[in-house]
Amino acid sequence: MDISSGVRIGPFEVFAPTHAPVSSIRRNGNHHFPGRLFIVEGIDGSGKSTQLSLLHKWLEAKGYGVVFSEWNSSPLVKDTTKLGKKKKMLTPATFSLIHSTDFADRTERSIVPLLKAGAVVLCDRYIYTAFARDVARGIDRTWVRGLYKFAVPPAVAFYFRVPLETAIARLTGARDGFKFYEAGMDLHLSDDSEESFRIFQGRILDEYEKMVPEFGLTVIDATLPVEAQQAQVRHIVRMHLENAKELRMRP
Amino acid sequence: MRSTYGKSLPDMNLSDLSGKLIVIEGTDGAGRTTQIDLLKPWLEELGHAVLDTGMARSSLAGDGIRRAKEGNNLGPVTQSLFYATDFVDRLENEIAPALRAGFIVLTDRYIYSLMARAIVRGMDPVWIRSIFAIALKPDAVFYLRVGIDQLVPRVIFSRGFDYWESGMDLYPGRDMYDSFCNYQHALLTEFDHFSQEFSFETIDASAQPKVVFAQLKASILQLLDSDSRETYLSKLRADSSEVSVHGIAGNSAPALREATRAELNLVLHPVAVHSPNGNGHGVPPRE
Repeated sequence: MDISSGVRIGPFEVFAPTHAPVSSIRRNGNHHFPGRLFIVEGIDGSGKSTQLSLLHKWLEAKGYGVVFSEWNSSPLVKDTTKLGKKKKMLTPATFSLIHSTDFADRTERSIVPLLKAGAVVLCDRYIYTAFARDVARGIDRTWVRGLYKFAVPPAVAFYFRVPLETAIARLTGARDGFKFYEAGMDLHLSDDSEESFRIFQGRILDEYEKMVPEFGLTVIDATLPVEAQQAQVRHIVRMHLENAKELRMRP
Repeated sequence: MRSTYGKSLPDMNLSDLSGKLIVIEGTDGAGRTTQIDLLKPWLEELGHAVLDTGMARSSLAGDGIRRAKEGNNLGPVTQSLFYATDFVDRLENEIAPALRAGFIVLTDRYIYSLMARAIVRGMDPVWIRSIFAIALKPDAVFYLRVGIDQLVPRVIFSRGFDYWESGMDLYPGRDMYDSFCNYQHALLTEFDHFSQEFSFETIDASAQPKVVFAQLKASILQLLDSDSRETYLSKLRADSSEVSVHGIAGNSAPALREATRAELNLVLHPVAVHSPNGNGHGVPPRE
């Protein structure tokens, strides 16, 4: 990103919010911070968290200062999200806004300062999760992209592509039942939570596919063996670390 | 039909929001709450159902915002979006349903305060406007304007300086007084811009509360049905006539009659208080 054209939001530079959101987010990895930001995306059951945790261990073993940030984990905001979900108070709009608030807190409090300090920051889910879910809930596509204009563009956004049936088969073996919002039960797509989950995740999958060209997501075939996927991920990450400031931990 | 500032929320039917949405805006200490406390019973007496609402009162985010503000690590982007969450929760669950039921909604602040606070904290004005494009356009925005010179004594002698009202998150290390003046001045500048952009009716809030109240009543009557107007007009006419005023005898009766006549005049000639150019009648010049 060309910082000189950026508008300052708060104490740090972000990409220019006066530009069209798409064009600015597309400039992946050009954010001029000494650290590096890598993020993973994909529907539930795509195996993205497994891949991120393997990447995390590898980077740590190589001596990088690595920090992990999870979707929906801000200490200031998560109680409100929890309350809204528990009491089923969230509409598509407030669902969208409270998640952006959580993301804003993590951006201001941790992601930006860490990238400035030269850390490698790993995020399990990023703005693309919000775009996919919120649009699947009927939120205006342009509006939600605008909401997240303060986000730092990642160096690489990995998208773990998996067919819906494969993801569902992985999930149904692993746990019992789906949560209300996770299955999109607020949209009254079906009274059956598994059926609702299937329809809702299908919509999310469609949105992810549209975002691959829109944001230049790096697609990983998530039906491949875990090791093969991880080899690809590490290969790509290695290329982006070449000129990174190396904030190495002492062994 | 009611409209928004450009974007619609899912499931928000704009065609049946028949009530009136009345916004009372102004900086901290401008007397908004006092006026709403006066307006609500007055409107109810005229037979209108009234909902009053205000910032950080949502059941979803109100407590979360209060908790977040107890600490000193609420960033400007997070703060802006947290308040947007609170606003939309009230918009969808209080304001819109009340308008649908034909209520008069009196709101203590609206998106304008939220945008002004965000902008003075360095948020991009285009960005914050795009977020609040989902807000319903109100029927009227009354901007209670007070200059900083009048604001300072009001704040000092009522509740004292507050960390957030003084913008201490913006100017750390300064004393509360300097910070308060800087911050409130920046907010006033934004409000003055907004008053034209969003057609505020500016009211000089340095006047006595009862004078401000009379102006608000006169303007609000124009938004209401003719029955409400007639009911209130006949009450004013009766009160201002030579007959005794509600049994009040003695020296206070002539003064009261005079005040009532002044109000009657305002109601009959409301143009006098209007501010088509947003630079209201009797408003002190900008600092």
